[in-house]
Amino acid sequence: MSDTAIYVLVLTVYMLLLVGIGVLTSRRMRNSEDFYLGGRSVGPWVTSLSFVAAYFSSVVIIGGGAFGYRFGMSTLWIGASNVLIGIALVWMVLGRRIRLFTERLGTMTVPGFLAERFKAKEARVFAAFVIALFLIIYNVSILKGMGHAFEGLMGIPYIWAVLLSGVIIILYVSLGGYLAVVWTGFFQAWVMGLGLILLTFAALRAVGGLTEANVALRTMSPGLVNTPGEWGWAGMISYAMIVSFGVWGMPQLMVRFYSIKSVSVLRVGTVVATIGGSMAVLPFLNGAIARVLHPELATADLAIPTLTKAVLSPWGGAVFLAGVIAAGMSTFASVLIITSGAVVRDVVQKGLGRELSERQTVRYSRWVSALVGVVSLAIALRPPALVLVLTAFSWAAIASTCLWPMLFGLYWKRATRWGVLASMGCGLAAALIWIGIGSPFGLHGFIPGIVISLVAMVAVSLVTERLPDEHLDRVWGDG
Amino acid sequence: MGPFQTPWLTFFAWIVIGGSILLAIAWSVFGF
Repeated sequence: MSDTAIYVLVLTVYMLLLVGIGVLTSRRMRNSEDFYLGGRSVGPWVTSLSFVAAYFSSVVIIGGGAFGYRFGMSTLWIGASNVLIGIALVWMVLGRRIRLFTERLGTMTVPGFLAERFKAKEARVFAAFVIALFLIIYNVSILKGMGHAFEGLMGIPYIWAVLLSGVIIILYVSLGGYLAVVWTGFFQAWVMGLGLILLTFAALRAVGGLTEANVALRTMSPGLVNTPGEWGWAGMISYAMIVSFGVWGMPQLMVRFYSIKSVSVLRVGTVVATIGGSMAVLPFLNGAIARVLHPELATADLAIPTLTKAVLSPWGGAVFLAGVIAAGMSTFASVLIITSGAVVRDVVQKGLGRELSERQTVRYSRWVSALVGVVSLAIALRPPALVLVLTAFSWAAIASTCLWPMLFGLYWKRATRWGVLASMGCGLAAALIWIGIGSPFGLHGFIPGIVISLVAMVAVSLVTERLPDEHLDRVWGDG
Repeated sequence: MGPFQTPWLTFFAWIVIGGSILLAIAWSVFGF
């Protein structure tokens, strides 16, 4: 078989499996809670591995490899912060309360939780707009990453790659809703892990082992093995924060805790998610190894594709490509259904007050998911310059808006309606203004965004009236 | 210099990953 035939065969089987999951899960669709939360019935393995799959996109694999290639072994810290702050602590600190509070408040979305928890209708529409706008921009960057991965690893033209992967995702998300998203995510996490482990073993064998890689890097430049090395503390820490602590405000990841069957899912789920999420360190390691094996690449983004072709057989390369595509598709699907929920639940039904029956809601949700997917796809085919600039900040904008309101909503009874509105407005404004003036000191806009958002949350809450005790008792389950 | 000719401050990243997994296991066994 020729290399191309092997790649096409592996990918065709893979895409058919995904659509099959979409068809199977579409049979259990009775109401909107089924569409958006899988009827709150998801178990530990599917929840934890689909969390990991939604967290890491193709951008992380190719881009993480590029960071490893440029800065060397100190980038392992990004993987370590992902595992500790972005997974283990999130599951321990947020999981239980998100599940219990959202059920008591009867909400299915992040804007819905903020509105009901703080009795703030304005928070719902504001958060839904920020989430929908910046998640569509995030989706464009995910699709773009997949398109370039297809192009780099397989030679499929960018446009066809984007169309093919986009259409498949839109199909299974509109059909199967949340259950299709988490089941395909579960399956894709295994493919991602397999691809990354294959590449890592082959790369380590090619370079002669981890010790050899470190020795070779040090002879090139000591900054490639030291921490923070060539990167510097400010850049390294602010990047680690956005990609790890940012998770605490990301609706497509928080929703995994809404949908668990019961709190006891967290017991096994936390361990599985932390172990599965450890794969986050591998792209950085492989990027650093690529620096040893191929020191003269034109751009760092070529590190992973070049390494793959050099150390893996066509079958191994096809599996790795499937892993990269799996990373992108699972993230795109998770984001797509959240965007649809923000539009249908938070803007149309609650914001504009449109009365929809459960059957109508499911139908609307399917069409809106398809529409949002098609819009993301259309933008990704020829992204305008502004969208490309904003993709680097989509996490910063959403986290600056949602992170503290979520955390304080779960842990601080004194947080008030005005506190949360000030926190959301000031946080988003601070992040966007910082980005607008060109990110001074090389500091990511996420940092000023969450600092200002935190100050506004606490200061405004302390000078405004607290929420009634009976409401708080109901949320905390004391009543 | 730590294992595998890795400077300790860089090697500590591997320890944090292993530590996170142990922390998750300890939490689910004792803290849950």
